[in-house]
Amino acid sequence: MKRLMNIEPSPVVKVFLTMLPFVIAVVVYWLASEARLSENPNDKLLPSFTQIAAAVERYAFVENKRTGEYLFWQDSAASLWRIGLGIGISACVGLVVGMLNGLLPMVRAGLSPFITILSLIPPMAILPILFITFGLDELAKVMLIIIGTAPVIMRDMQSQVTQLPREQLIKAQTLGASTWLVAIRVVLPQILPRLLASVRLTLGAAWLFLIAAEAIAAQEGLGYRIFLVRRYMSMDVILPYVIWITSLAFAMDFSLKKLSMLCFPWFHQGEAK
Amino acid sequence: MSFLTINNLWKSYGDVQVLERINLSVEQGEFVSMVGASGCGKSTFLNMLLGKEQATRGQILLEGNMLKQEPDEERGIVFQRYSVFPHLNVLQNVMIADEFTEAKILGWVLGSKRKLIKEKALAFIDAVGLTPALKKYPHELSGGMQQRLAIAQALMKAPKILLLDEPFGALDPGIRADMHQLIRDIWKKNKLTIFMVTHDIKEGFELGSRLWVFDKVRHDPHAPNMYGARVTYDLALNTGGQSADINNIVAEINQHEKNK
Amino acid sequence: MRKIKLLLVLITLLTSQQLLAKEKFSICWSIYVGWMPWEYGDSSGIIKKWADKYDIEIDVVQINDYIESINQYTAGQFDGCSMTNMDALTIPSASFVDSTALIVGDFSNGNDGVVLKDKGALTDIKGQKVNLVELSVSHYLLARGLESVGLSERDIQVVNTSDADLVAAYSTAGVTAVTTWNPLLSEITAQPNATKVYDSSDIPGEIIDLMVVNTDTLNENPKFGKALAGAWYEIMQKMRADKAVLTHMAEASGTDLAGYEAQLSTTKMFYQAKDAVAFTKSEQLPKTMEYVAKFSFEHGLLGDGAPDAGFIGIETPAGIVGDKNNIQLRFNPSYMQMAADGKL
Repeated sequence: MKRLMNIEPSPVVKVFLTMLPFVIAVVVYWLASEARLSENPNDKLLPSFTQIAAAVERYAFVENKRTGEYLFWQDSAASLWRIGLGIGISACVGLVVGMLNGLLPMVRAGLSPFITILSLIPPMAILPILFITFGLDELAKVMLIIIGTAPVIMRDMQSQVTQLPREQLIKAQTLGASTWLVAIRVVLPQILPRLLASVRLTLGAAWLFLIAAEAIAAQEGLGYRIFLVRRYMSMDVILPYVIWITSLAFAMDFSLKKLSMLCFPWFHQGEAK
Repeated sequence: MSFLTINNLWKSYGDVQVLERINLSVEQGEFVSMVGASGCGKSTFLNMLLGKEQATRGQILLEGNMLKQEPDEERGIVFQRYSVFPHLNVLQNVMIADEFTEAKILGWVLGSKRKLIKEKALAFIDAVGLTPALKKYPHELSGGMQQRLAIAQALMKAPKILLLDEPFGALDPGIRADMHQLIRDIWKKNKLTIFMVTHDIKEGFELGSRLWVFDKVRHDPHAPNMYGARVTYDLALNTGGQSADINNIVAEINQHEKNK
Repeated sequence: MRKIKLLLVLITLLTSQQLLAKEKFSICWSIYVGWMPWEYGDSSGIIKKWADKYDIEIDVVQINDYIESINQYTAGQFDGCSMTNMDALTIPSASFVDSTALIVGDFSNGNDGVVLKDKGALTDIKGQKVNLVELSVSHYLLARGLESVGLSERDIQVVNTSDADLVAAYSTAGVTAVTTWNPLLSEITAQPNATKVYDSSDIPGEIIDLMVVNTDTLNENPKFGKALAGAWYEIMQKMRADKAVLTHMAEASGTDLAGYEAQLSTTKMFYQAKDAVAFTKSEQLPKTMEYVAKFSFEHGLLGDGAPDAGFIGIETPAGIVGDKNNIQLRFNPSYMQMAADGKL
């Protein structure tokens, strides 16, 4: 008998083990839901799968009576636009500031400690200041995401730039490169895959800030809908929305990973196997 | 006036004296191997030639002019590791050397200029024997091939001096012999002036036309950092020669290594 | 074996505890001017005194988030909860948790209001974005206000805004109209450019603050209702007579005596049980609930299975509103009556 730590699951067993927790979660939910619904068929806390399906149908595939819009897709589009814009701007700002900080000692001396402090401020704690500065509209929601994620990306990019082997930077200089050319031809291409990795890690926080922003003041969006229908405990709407958000987050993470592998194969050489 | 002149060079880090009173001159086309116990200051000396570090006192003159205080095109470098760009393939790695100087803003060259650069790069790639690996990325190359690539890069700029910082230290012995042959050929063909730091004293003897041994002349057992190293031996070498000298010097360096 | 035995004993103990626990009840409340008496009743021991009298136990739990407290009650975590008439209809009753308004504590008489920035009349609201907690009593008040000047919700845009952030939101340039409740309302109207253009005193008796309990629990345990009603009207007496009690409530709600009295001045408290009974029995109550049901239905709050505003039946002493075969919300004055008659 091999040691436990040396026993690898066969492909079939592996698939089975992967699915198992999901199946268990669904079954546990189903049992709990059945139990509650048998007591009160109109209980809203743990709706049945049929009720959930009906809610999805209502929100995603039927025009809303009052507004004539498909609420689910409208919410999704609004949220995706906000998070895309927010994380996109964060990534760009993070990249530029991180590179400046990592590459130029003069900038680093001035900015690095400030950014470190900035990244430690919990944005949710200074919401009123954010409101007064950025209002309550789209800008504020995107800004909350940016303020929540950009400093983290900046710091990560800075540390990634400083972790590049010094030898490379010196080599480039002996080949006649200016600071600018070192930045765009040596540092930038090597930092981009690390930026994607950093964005992947901050996506979780970005979603958190998005939902928070939409809970505070909004007219549409995934977070808005969840907090609105929570008022009358429509778990049949909240649950599919939560699953949808999880799927979107997973899809974004997965596609960023694939994009990185496609564009920067040299970066992923170590992960190949 | 010599090609490279070193006038009363001192280097210290705070209280730690690393090098002291170094006065040497080197002619164009020499191949200087630098050996010595670890921590003797030979790498520091190389870094001063490179412009990465500055002398505390004294000066280094190249063709009568002060060396620039930062790395530039006059001095090529091959490090033990990490001297090629991992995100570029072999051809791009070599071509980038001229793109750096030809395209100051965009960093990319197009059209006929690009063709010229490519031809030049291909010639140097051929010279180091990497033509079959043109499209490969560094991570797909062996350690020896990566060093060949680094040499090809450096050659693109036709540097006045080429610095080698333990260039073959991480390679297998078999490959090392090949590399010795390569660097010797390139040195002769391109009439380069080369400074090489090596741990391997035999390599220093075999490869160079001149050997410098770095060592401390004065010792204070109570304050080991009080005095810096000097060049204690400055030997002209004929390749394959002076085995008696080798044995003496090897013994002496080993002795110092033990004393530490 | 011993372990199994031990386990069995434990299980028996736990289940018997559960059986005994039938006599134990719990209610929850959240901070609001009309519900602070529950805090006082808990900390002063008045509720415990009345529970002891009826030989039961009553747990009083404060929940920081109002909606969360109602959701907890609806999910069955609590036997009673403080809430407004509208939320009682749209949350527990719309979930078919049959609920009874045991105590009618007060109605909002200016505690909820519509505020405009730099404008003086409700009609000026047309075309503006209005920040409020969507689907709350604020939303209801706004709808009633719009109706009163011949406008409808189509003439404005509603922006759902968390109550915790409303005051900060009002100070931003983009926010020009809000609808909210006290103490947020008085914070906002204290700002120089704010004008209250409509408030709940324009629709007196329509936003009612209640103690709602689970109907089945109440029917099985009248003691629970008696203890709560008895305690409540003892607290009411003290509240009226003793400034120290008011000060206590003021501090517990995070303000001072002056601030609390200001809020009380826009709240019609039923200090006397007989007044609450009269209000509950009035002809006005079913009419009010009809408005509320209509608003709730139009905003989809009665559930998507609801064919019309009368889908959920509401029982009041003066008559039933909506489907009498599907009564889920009951205004029951009998416990308050007992308090009025001194029979507790």
